[in-house]
Amino acid sequence: MAKFRRRSAPYLFVLPFLVIFVAFSVYPLIFTARLSFTNWRGSGAAEWVGWGNYTYLLTSEAFWSSLGNSAVLWLLIVPIQIVLAVIVAVLLNSAKLKLRGLYRVAFIVPFVTPLVAVAQIWVVLFDQQYGAINAFLGVFGIPDIGWLTTSAWAKPTLALLFLWKTTGFIIIILLSGLQSIDGSMYEAAELDGASKLRQLWSITVPLLRRTIMFAVVLQTLAVFQMFAEPFVVTQGGPYNSTTTAGYYLYNHITRGDLGTGAANSFLLVILVMVLSLFFVRMLRAKD
Amino acid sequence: MTDTLIRPATVAAASAPRTRTERRPSLRIGSHVFLILLLIAFLAPVAWAIISSFKQPNDIIRDPLGFDPTTFTLDNFTAMFQDVPIAQGFLNTGIVLVVKGGITLFFAPLAAFAFAKYSFIGKNLIFGTVLITLMLPTIVLIIPLLLEMKALGWVNTYQALILPGAIDAFAIFWMRQVISAVPDELLDAARVDGCSEFGIFWRVIVPVIRPGLAGLAVLTIMNIYNDFVWPVIVASSERMSTLQVVLSTLAQNITGNRIGADYATVTGELLAASSIALIPLLVLFIVLQRHFINGILAGSVKG
Repeated sequence: MAKFRRRSAPYLFVLPFLVIFVAFSVYPLIFTARLSFTNWRGSGAAEWVGWGNYTYLLTSEAFWSSLGNSAVLWLLIVPIQIVLAVIVAVLLNSAKLKLRGLYRVAFIVPFVTPLVAVAQIWVVLFDQQYGAINAFLGVFGIPDIGWLTTSAWAKPTLALLFLWKTTGFIIIILLSGLQSIDGSMYEAAELDGASKLRQLWSITVPLLRRTIMFAVVLQTLAVFQMFAEPFVVTQGGPYNSTTTAGYYLYNHITRGDLGTGAANSFLLVILVMVLSLFFVRMLRAKD
Repeated sequence: MTDTLIRPATVAAASAPRTRTERRPSLRIGSHVFLILLLIAFLAPVAWAIISSFKQPNDIIRDPLGFDPTTFTLDNFTAMFQDVPIAQGFLNTGIVLVVKGGITLFFAPLAAFAFAKYSFIGKNLIFGTVLITLMLPTIVLIIPLLLEMKALGWVNTYQALILPGAIDAFAIFWMRQVISAVPDELLDAARVDGCSEFGIFWRVIVPVIRPGLAGLAVLTIMNIYNDFVWPVIVASSERMSTLQVVLSTLAQNITGNRIGADYATVTGELLAASSIALIPLLVLFIVLQRHFINGILAGSVKG
């Protein structure tokens, strides 16, 4: 009896999870794969269109421009964020630094705030006429900038929101990587008279490479899926300049073009996976 | 103790580090200045929003940088409570938090226990699938999930907000790692004492993995509280809107309707709503810092 109970127990334990997992993850995934080969619009009969949705997207200017927008955002965000986070993490990792606990908590605050709330605060802060940012810059005689109303500035403004929101998270990740580095290496370098900057470049960065690459992969995924930021702040505008890959995908849903949307999500998955593999390769090549 | 051991070496190398010790104070001041500037940049938007939400609407737009405490007002908050269903938003978010969070925190460790400590048919297949779904972006699932909700008649219901995404693959993955570290001897000892299999989970595993559970709890709370994409797609009716969805409607009012005095009123309401929405998580974060950071770190493996 005890043996039977021990044998049957794991099935019962897994069952609730399995029901939800199959119903709301596995099944929808298979459904999306099928849907991406049809022209279904949410009702009526679905017509099989083969690779039609995929070829339509791959030859559509709007699709490529959505990827281009995400790529530009990536360039505006990831390099700056990594450099900034490495510097801050190294400073915070120093045992001699006073108030490090306070800094660590303060830097993570943006990450725990609800995105929608801060995205709205962004809308108000960066308003061309009434915003605090232009008022502040005005003190230095800088004329008002149309942060959210010109296609030149809309992307940097969104990038700034993303940087503000997630850099603390990257700092925490890098800090945990730093804590696994053996302190004696620095002592040795110090005895050899290596400067702090030299130590940072020759010891910290190489040993932290894995963690850095991990952070790059995470942020690449996040930037290419970015949706809520443009949804709240710019609605993809002005002139589609902030229609990110994630926002473009959402557009298919609102237009009821579900087959194309499904194909689009798979293309996005493939792209994100290729990018991740590329970064992992880069990491391996140098090992 | 270590001090005396190291001393001979330090004495020998004393001439070299001397210059460095002299340089250090300026370096330290420099890094503090840098960190403090960054700190201001990180906290300013939130602080500005909270302070501004107590200003007269017209002052918010006329003088966005100033604050005159004598004009302190709660008007933005009262107007906001009248104009948007924020209380309903809090209620809906609260319901989803309790039920979805409860389901996840109970059933995820339970299933993870089976994956970590038992062998059963299909174990590797299921766990492999869990790992694959971990790597997929969540947006892939949105279209079919929405259709599934329509087919079930669940659009604008609590079920739709609660069930998809409950007991998520990541929670299973993380809890399995945590439970794997629990020594088997503990479980065997409990069995010898006549403990049932569920009794082992409840009385042996759960107490041992409490720190991991706390991390999972804060991460789950944060994710559910901040969740926006799925709620806005599946439950955007006024009655079913979660807090984040209610907030997002305010922003759309602003961009859709930007004329004179009206803009000031809407901005005031928006800042009041955002400030109120910030507070619960900030308080929770300050109280549970360590668990938050553990949760966030563990959560980062979710790609």
